[in-house]
Amino acid sequence: MTGLPHPRRVNPSLADGFAVQRRVIGALLMREILTRYGRHNIGFLWLFVEPMLFTLGVTALWSLTRESHSNAIPITAFALTGYSTVLLWRNMPGRCISAIEPNRSLLYHRNVRLLDIYLSRLLLEFGGASISFMILTLLFMNLGMIDPPEDLLKVIFGWVTLGLFGTALALTMGTLAINNEIVEKLWHPISYLTFPLSGAAYMVDALPKSVQPLALYLPMVNCVEIIRDGYFGKHANPHYDIGYVAAVTVVMMLFALITLSIKGRLVAVD
Amino acid sequence: MNAPPADLPAHARAWWLRPLFLICVVLPTLVAIVYFGVLASDIYISESRFIVRSQDKSTPTALGLLLNNAALNHGTPESAAAQSYLLSRDALAALNRDRAYARAYDRPGIAWLDRFDPLGLTGSFEDLYKYYLSHVQVETDSTAGISELTVRAYTAADARAINEHLLRLAETTVNAMSERARRDLIASSAHEAFDAKAAARAAGSALARYRNTAGVVDPEKQAPIQYELVSKLQDELIEARSDRRQLAAVAPQSDQIPALDARIHEIETRIAEQSGLAAGNKRKSLAAAGEEYERLSLEADFATKRLGAALASLETAENEAQHQSSYVERVVEPNLPDKATEPRRLRGILTTLVFSLVVWGVATMLLAGVREHRS
Repeated sequence: MTGLPHPRRVNPSLADGFAVQRRVIGALLMREILTRYGRHNIGFLWLFVEPMLFTLGVTALWSLTRESHSNAIPITAFALTGYSTVLLWRNMPGRCISAIEPNRSLLYHRNVRLLDIYLSRLLLEFGGASISFMILTLLFMNLGMIDPPEDLLKVIFGWVTLGLFGTALALTMGTLAINNEIVEKLWHPISYLTFPLSGAAYMVDALPKSVQPLALYLPMVNCVEIIRDGYFGKHANPHYDIGYVAAVTVVMMLFALITLSIKGRLVAVD
Repeated sequence: MNAPPADLPAHARAWWLRPLFLICVVLPTLVAIVYFGVLASDIYISESRFIVRSQDKSTPTALGLLLNNAALNHGTPESAAAQSYLLSRDALAALNRDRAYARAYDRPGIAWLDRFDPLGLTGSFEDLYKYYLSHVQVETDSTAGISELTVRAYTAADARAINEHLLRLAETTVNAMSERARRDLIASSAHEAFDAKAAARAAGSALARYRNTAGVVDPEKQAPIQYELVSKLQDELIEARSDRRQLAAVAPQSDQIPALDARIHEIETRIAEQSGLAAGNKRKSLAAAGEEYERLSLEADFATKRLGAALASLETAENEAQHQSSYVERVVEPNLPDKATEPRRLRGILTTLVFSLVVWGVATMLLAGVREHRS
């Protein structure tokens, strides 16, 4: 209640707090970019060049070695939509798990909260993966290797849904990893083992009917299906349940926030 | 349940009266209660199961088996065709003759929100099709090949009637497809058999006509007879000549000599005549006849063989067509539900409540986080 009085605002502390938080996150974002990529060679371009190289490599590899599920779905577009999503949901938790250590000293400032550090890293990851996906799609489209998406709005919807799920997953893993090194050790094998199951490498429709419901228990599979539904239109024959993804995301988010409020106090500023 | 107001900050109301809670939890739950409790109409679900049988007993290859198990297979192509027909505009158009389908869904008794075309603005066929797709489901189990047809309607009788009608439409379609395939399969063989029959008849009659005009039955068989005749005549000639020589030596004045001479002459003429008939240059010789006869008989032979082959392949095609015919077999007849199974009202309300509570929890904590920032 130390800010200037704003008679028109019902709850001045909330609006002020929001303004401050935005600035804090913005500043953390810039700091993150500089500490991660520096100013030498291509600098912050690495933000999306790195995921682009990953996706390019995997796309090239798959295009050469694999057969697509059906003639209607070209393997290049299949690999592009698949591996981009993997980068999105896998890098976010990875970034969050190791978020606190390098930023511990910043917590000295009252307005820098743990959640701000997480959110700035998540925004950066989301932005990088999105720019990489966008640039590669435009590039391949211009080269004539893939067709433009049939329903761009649905692709964006699926992408944002996956981003939100990734955020919830990242916050969960990140808060669990506070003062707990095992989580970081476990996350790597888990993320590697989930990759083949994640829907990047297959479409649910191609699975046997009995296995399909099992695959759809993985929220990222649902999101990839939405993205491919938008990208390939009716050729894709997608299966997904938005309600399920929303439920999982919200519950994980709540869990993460509760964990954060409990464990956050344990983080020493030193 | 609530802390006494004295413990709360001055500006705070009880937590369940704050706007955030009202917006996140109370409002959605109230909407859910009103919708599920009052507005939503009972939905009756009629289910039927069918299998599209095709008697194609081709043994699958190893690759086919692998693909079957791993992926890509949604039953037989026929059942996929049935499924895609059931969910097509064609099926809806057939179902909606005289607006029969639309009428089942815009009865005044149906809740305004659930009804088809509640405002009178979305009554096009495309809108009806969209509505149709949300009320009719076809699921095919790829391992057993059984398709399940589910129809949702607002009265039990409608649900069953629509299901029954759809099943009949599927049957008609599959039958028509199968019949068409059968006809296509047989048509080319039948055509070939017809042609071969005509050709065989023509060749046969050409040969018969030639036999009549040329007066030959079979030169190959006639020629030996001819030569036998000549050699017999030759024998006779030799005998007659030696008789005459003996007689001329013993009794040169015998009056039998002119008779023998006449006989010898006669035999010689016959020999000349017969051997000319067998191989001479004359048009009537057997060798000359053989050339034309050989051509015609070869043609007749060929035509007969072609006819035999055509008839055999027609029979195979007919057999195969019999085996490939496919038809819809009903496993479970459409049922008449005696109770509305949807919407699951209590569950709907409860889901909304729980979900909005979780959302509220997240929102509260995020906002609390925002409030921690102070300028």
